[in-house]
Amino acid sequence: MTTEKKLSYEGARDELATVVSQLETGGATLEESLKLWERGEELAAMCQEWLDGARAKLSAVKPSEK
Amino acid sequence: MFETSSESPAPVRVVSEAIKEYVDRLGPIWIEGEISEINERSGGMAFMRLRDTSVDMSMSVMCHKSVLSGVSPLPQNARVVIFAKASWYTKSGTFTMSAREIRQVGMGELLARLEALKAVLASEGLFDEERKVRLPLLPRKVGLICGRNTDAEKDVVENAKRRWPSVEFEIREVAVQGAAAVVEVSAALAELEAQEDVDVIIITRGGGSFEDLLPFSDESLVRLAASCKTPIVSAIGHEKDSPLLDLVADVRASTPTDAAKKVVPDISEEIEMITALGQRARRHILSLLDLETSRIENLRNRPVLKDPLVLVTTREEIVTGLRDRSTRSFTHRLTLASEELLHTTARVRALSPQATLDRGYSVVQLEDGSIVRDPHSLSAGQKLRIRLAMGETNATATGN
Repeated sequence: MTTEKKLSYEGARDELATVVSQLETGGATLEESLKLWERGEELAAMCQEWLDGARAKLSAVKPSEK
Repeated sequence: MFETSSESPAPVRVVSEAIKEYVDRLGPIWIEGEISEINERSGGMAFMRLRDTSVDMSMSVMCHKSVLSGVSPLPQNARVVIFAKASWYTKSGTFTMSAREIRQVGMGELLARLEALKAVLASEGLFDEERKVRLPLLPRKVGLICGRNTDAEKDVVENAKRRWPSVEFEIREVAVQGAAAVVEVSAALAELEAQEDVDVIIITRGGGSFEDLLPFSDESLVRLAASCKTPIVSAIGHEKDSPLLDLVADVRASTPTDAAKKVVPDISEEIEMITALGQRARRHILSLLDLETSRIENLRNRPVLKDPLVLVTTREEIVTGLRDRSTRSFTHRLTLASEELLHTTARVRALSPQATLDRGYSVVQLEDGSIVRDPHSLSAGQKLRIRLAMGETNATATGN
């Protein structure tokens, strides 16, 4: 896996979208498709991490319910 | 003027005469002031104290009771104009101011004077909006100028404390009526203005008659208020009253309670507002997170990611498809070729002389392979090749 330069969440999400559309339109070689698929998985995991992190931060700061 | 010294002093009579001369120069004059005390002596004379309307000065004035009868009963702190003459009795060295005529300053007169003053102050821009200063949100100390233990004071303090328990006051209880009012309110105002940690000053007084509120339209007080750096809240009289102080103050409050509201924030209101803002921010973030999560969810569920095998299977299908096609087309060609082969061999066989030879025919050829069809073309001794069903032999022509 290439070491990731700090990709923003939006950056990861948009790249994921492109990877998916590339895979869907086909045209890539089998080898490329496999690499694309792997990249897709990696990006998806990254985005998920961001979202889970944000949610965790929020619930950590949950105001005490009166 | 004349020179005197310890060596050549002036005798009493000379000094007294000189004083008389000075005093007489004043001559009879109209004086305006406020009568604060009147006591009528048995001998037909009456003595009163005439106070200045804005400065802490006063003088004793005497007059014949008849002069007073024209305007009595004079209300407390009546604003008057008197025609009087100052005189100095050289014999006893006493000074008297005796009034020949007293007129009470009427309401109309006061109003007219007030309007005139208002116009002057307005033209000087003292009432302009840009001069007004915003009140501090959290004043360190609140200056309060009010009457001695009046409702106004209670209202301001109680309301302010309820809204913001830790509010601190600098209270100056002063006369809020009559000539003394201007003097004491001004003094208190100056004092509080000088106090660095007083961030706002409330000047308040309950309702009262036109005269009662007059001090709060006094030119010197109004000018002083205008010159203050500390923001001033004026809460004088009832809603309808609007002394000049209101116009020059930074904020006009209709009642003492209103003044308290304007000067200190209501802590519970502020807290509520801040928590509400916090909740709104939180809700916004949560909805943003939900939106993004669903977007990622939907991307992950796309078949190309969910079951990548499809990448292989689709290609596999293509490959198998191709393979099938190639085998099919190959077999097809094969069959074609073999059929063709059959045909050609049949044709070859059909064209080949063997069958004819089998039927007993034979083929005569010259040595060069050409076929003999005409016996006449032969000459004796010529070598011939005879192809028979079973094989080939040689012969020579004998000629015929």
